[in-house]
Amino acid sequence: MATVIPVDEFITDEWYPGFKPGYTHAPWYIDPVQTFRKEDEENFWFLDFHWPRGLTPMGLIWNEDGYNWSSQLAAEQMPLPPGRGITCRLGGTHTYGSPLPVNDVREIGQRARRLERMLPPFLQNFDEIWGHMREEVNESWDYFHGVDLSALSLADLRENLIQARQYHKRAFEIHFQVMYPLLANYVGFYSMCTELGLDPGQIGKFLQGYDTKIMETDRELWRLTTAARAAGLEPVFAAHEAGGIRAALAAHGGSASTWLTTFDDFLQVYGWRTEGSCDIALPSWIEDPTPALGMIKTFLRKDRDHDFEAARNAAVEEREAAVDAARSTLTLDEQKLFDGGLASCRAANFPWWQDDHNYYIDLRISLPMRWACQAIADRIGADTQDDTLYLFWEEIMDVSGGRRPYDAGLRSLVEQRKQYFDYWLRRRPNLPKVVGTIPESVNDPILIEIFGLNSHFLRAVEAAGANSTVKTLTGVPASKGLGRGVARVLHNADELHRLSPGEVLVCESTSPNWTPAFAKIAACVCDGGGTLSHAAIVGREYGVPTVTAVGLATMVIADGDEVEVNGSTGQVTVLKQMPNGRG
Amino acid sequence: MPDAIAWVDEVAPDRAIGACGAKMGRLAELLRAGVSLPKGFTVTVEAYRQHWARAGLDEVTEGTLGRLGPDAGPAEVEAAAAAVRAEVARREMSADLAALIADAYEELSSRCFEINVPTAVRSSAIGEDSGTDSFAGIFDSYLGVSGPDRVLEAVRHCWASLFNARAVSYRLRSGTHHRDMPMAVGVIELIHARASGVAFSAHPVTGKTDRIVIETSWGWGEAVVQGLVTPDHIEVGKADGRVLKYQVAAKNVVSAFDYAIGRVVETAMPPRLVERRVLDDEQIDAVAAAVLAVERHYGYPVDVEWVLDRHRREGEPVCVVQARPVTVTAPAAAAPTEWNPAAMAAKYVFGR
Repeated sequence: MATVIPVDEFITDEWYPGFKPGYTHAPWYIDPVQTFRKEDEENFWFLDFHWPRGLTPMGLIWNEDGYNWSSQLAAEQMPLPPGRGITCRLGGTHTYGSPLPVNDVREIGQRARRLERMLPPFLQNFDEIWGHMREEVNESWDYFHGVDLSALSLADLRENLIQARQYHKRAFEIHFQVMYPLLANYVGFYSMCTELGLDPGQIGKFLQGYDTKIMETDRELWRLTTAARAAGLEPVFAAHEAGGIRAALAAHGGSASTWLTTFDDFLQVYGWRTEGSCDIALPSWIEDPTPALGMIKTFLRKDRDHDFEAARNAAVEEREAAVDAARSTLTLDEQKLFDGGLASCRAANFPWWQDDHNYYIDLRISLPMRWACQAIADRIGADTQDDTLYLFWEEIMDVSGGRRPYDAGLRSLVEQRKQYFDYWLRRRPNLPKVVGTIPESVNDPILIEIFGLNSHFLRAVEAAGANSTVKTLTGVPASKGLGRGVARVLHNADELHRLSPGEVLVCESTSPNWTPAFAKIAACVCDGGGTLSHAAIVGREYGVPTVTAVGLATMVIADGDEVEVNGSTGQVTVLKQMPNGRG
Repeated sequence: MPDAIAWVDEVAPDRAIGACGAKMGRLAELLRAGVSLPKGFTVTVEAYRQHWARAGLDEVTEGTLGRLGPDAGPAEVEAAAAAVRAEVARREMSADLAALIADAYEELSSRCFEINVPTAVRSSAIGEDSGTDSFAGIFDSYLGVSGPDRVLEAVRHCWASLFNARAVSYRLRSGTHHRDMPMAVGVIELIHARASGVAFSAHPVTGKTDRIVIETSWGWGEAVVQGLVTPDHIEVGKADGRVLKYQVAAKNVVSAFDYAIGRVVETAMPPRLVERRVLDDEQIDAVAAAVLAVERHYGYPVDVEWVLDRHRREGEPVCVVQARPVTVTAPAAAAPTEWNPAAMAAKYVFGR
């Protein structure tokens, strides 16, 4: 008898105030974004880790243009034989995802043959294809970056917003067009390696040690840290909260002013990124540099600078050693097969791309829409620049198109929606990780490898509630080594400044904006994520013991507990509980 | 009785199996494969037949076994079989045959430059190695038999083992007469084993023919063959002879020579040897070379039992004491040799 977790708490007559469920006004490819309906209980839904704060009405554009357009479109264009991409349902402001299966055997066969024709040329030419895509994304980025919004009329701002959304949508078409074939190739290689008798724990290493745009940013942050130390600015950073550092440095003058100039130069290159994936509600570092300054502040608290060269060399050395060790156990024929697969996966390197693409797409692609929304907010006299993020697409189209005034009614709705957003933000830590019918197993490799929905995770969430006294948790051993320290249970990236060096990060999952934290933590534990999740990849690059897909770590482990993380076995042990840690 | 004895290195290859039974006949065939074999001779099928007729054993078997129907119960079969075995082991050989065997044994001792050379006395029935392999390992073998009297006694016991309960009930079910399964007996020098084991020229479980699989432990091979010990497991690439895998096992039992009783017996492994790696790379090469030579000779995957002589020096071959076609081979699926991303994705990712 399958376990069913009810969706009733998400079924409401009125969802975001002033909006009727039946969320089907944006084009979708296979299945639209909707609020939960009772019949959705027949399917399996997992809480998506990308938006730990929830999404504002304007933020839901991502669900429409990302999952329900781009992922579904990509899964048809380069067909995944048994799957049509991802759809989602909304639990309040939070997103639950689900795979869309293909069940007809004949159709699966035809899709497989189409994939067989299309996949090899894509992989062989990946460098060129991804290069063109990056060029396209960068070209439009330069366009939006260069528009002076203050000079545009309201009607032109509306036009700009429409263009920005189109850009956003196109970027995610690209995103999924690359992600699916790369992942299929990688998982094929991974499975083949397992069948050849290679240690699964070693396979991830074969593709590590290649620089990404995200690592480049982290390296620059450390350079700034070294410069701040050299300029004697440590006391200024130590004396102020992250939010107050900029003003303090400006007031300090002298070497601090010089340093701030360097910092601003850094921001102009690397600062066009948000503190979270694909969310219009998040500011860039340019708009609010607090996260970058906070990161430098905590870096300064470490005795020594993170040696990027050493870490990279170690990663490369480990990669080559792992490949040599694996090859030595294979016959000549097997080596040929292995070498072919490895070459293909290096030419179209999924773990590398999985980090690198965030710089070009996930972390900055919402910014042009955000700027347009903010400019419209200024123009219509909204109380704050963020108010327009609480309007739905039609509403902002009507308002900016002069078809509807931004009147007391809309202003009041915006206020109510902010409260609704906050209400669901508070509920997030206790939301079920999965709802609907929990399957025996999930067969979609994307859900297993990226979201960590392996059978262990499924059993853990099934048993939720029965094991409140649990002391030992297990998950996917994602990055080897043993780490021990005080647990910091963080629910979103805003709290990253609470992490002190040597502590253990416990979270739902990480995104690229969490990466710098890996230079200072002793270990990382995630509720979700497989061997290819962000935390797993970055954990390996930074040599931080990491366990993913633990299921309920953020519920079982309390802030302040002392924990031991074994990244080689996947075991997480609570050594000492905070006396009043539980609640 | 000119045909009673056949020396391993003298019997004509085309009559080896007919005269010497499956096990010893194959050993003689291996001479042509160029592998190193133990010295020894076979008490032939002919000797067995003559003894059988002279000792009047047909009356014993017909009388006792003839009463058993095809659906006789296990207890009934075992009782009848035990009675026959006791009688077969008791009946003296003719003085002529006994003298021939004793003389051959003296000759073997002399060829080995030893007095009362310890031997392995092994049953070698006609048809015991045939396709179905139903008789694998059920007939008796005696390791470490020394002196002419003990050799004669061991030969009689090997003859008697033709009437093991399992063999009897199999023949009852299949309607085979024991006359169609005459029993030759091999008497071969007991190699002073430092280590022994088996080697397969294809993976016995996956059927992959790209590798040689070796299993080995210290001492004689009985404990390995009978599965009494978990042996070291080694895989060697066939194309380049590279050691792909060496798993050292905890080997708790050893077949060792007990000088007090003059036999090879199973006993506890000395603690220092339990987790010690058995073969070095040079020895692995020698085992691999032997099994490959046998495979080349037969033209199909084989498994061999081999022994590493205590006095073997680097570069010398290991001794092959048995060889047969690999019996438990799953048909190896045609393994791909080129990376084909779509095929791999289809096979592994999408479960087709």
